[in-house]
Amino acid sequence: MHIMEGFLPWQWCLIWWIIALPCLIFGIYQLKKVLRADREALPLLGITGGFIFILSSLKLPSVTGSCSHPTGTGLSTISFGPWITAVVCAIVLLFQSLFLAHGGLSVLGANIVSMGIVGPLVGYALYRLLRDTSVNIYITVFLVTALADMFTYVTTSLELALAYPAETGGFVSSFILFMGIFAVTQVPLAIVEGIVLALVFKYILTLKPDILIRLGVFSKEKIEAARSEI
Amino acid sequence: MVYKYTLEILAGIAIVVFCALFLYTSATMSGAEFAGSDNVGSGLIAKLSGIPVENFHPLIPQWEPPSGEIESCLFALQAAFGGMVIGGVFGFWMGQKKKA
Repeated sequence: MHIMEGFLPWQWCLIWWIIALPCLIFGIYQLKKVLRADREALPLLGITGGFIFILSSLKLPSVTGSCSHPTGTGLSTISFGPWITAVVCAIVLLFQSLFLAHGGLSVLGANIVSMGIVGPLVGYALYRLLRDTSVNIYITVFLVTALADMFTYVTTSLELALAYPAETGGFVSSFILFMGIFAVTQVPLAIVEGIVLALVFKYILTLKPDILIRLGVFSKEKIEAARSEI
Repeated sequence: MVYKYTLEILAGIAIVVFCALFLYTSATMSGAEFAGSDNVGSGLIAKLSGIPVENFHPLIPQWEPPSGEIESCLFALQAAFGGMVIGGVFGFWMGQKKKA
């Protein structure tokens, strides 16, 4: 999902940076607040952030004959919301643009918007929708993770299509072309990522249900029910 | 209790199917290079804008890993850092639970 350095006109770089910065500042403020309120949240942040580090470094092959990487933002989105997730993503993306030439400083804003903001926001919307319904916790985690992953790539396609509309058909036909590269490749990856992170969530739930209850991730009754199921 | 390991089994199946899909694609699809979708995307940008890929230059000068080996080393470091934190926390929690 990285837009490569130099491949986005500076006007667009600026626009995405302007969108990303306030979200990051709000994320840092929220992060401080959460950690001050409850030091026990720090290990959970370590786990959810750790998965963003690992999964975003795995280049996996897909059915389209090209490789792409999962984002791993689902767990963090569910536990801490999209803004704190954006901060963790910004750290990972900064590392990758400084040392790996994946993305770059000028396009960092655009990459943060796709991986750290829009993807997690869409996932978070679904999580809020499902949280208080009778839908199984693991199915919720699966759907949120897969959706956050997919929408990261949809957003990358959108960012590129906006900057490079096709000569015939303009923005829409260009968007479809980019979706063909980014989103289609991502479908199997998003499904596997969803299942794996649902499994990780089961282990968190088994070991530390109290922190999830204190953070209000799911209601106490729902967590107890999920614990007795497995 | 019947469903104790449902998720583990599902995750195992998903990973096996994923690997099988990869093997099938790489065996049957001609021209499948498994390049990064980032690069394929850059190719499309070049096609749409009519500017060859070589003519795109970084807006902000950028350090590039001199070889694939060094790049994979740095990627492994990134993943190792994540793995260390995750393993440490799960171990810490298991210890806490045992003590309690």
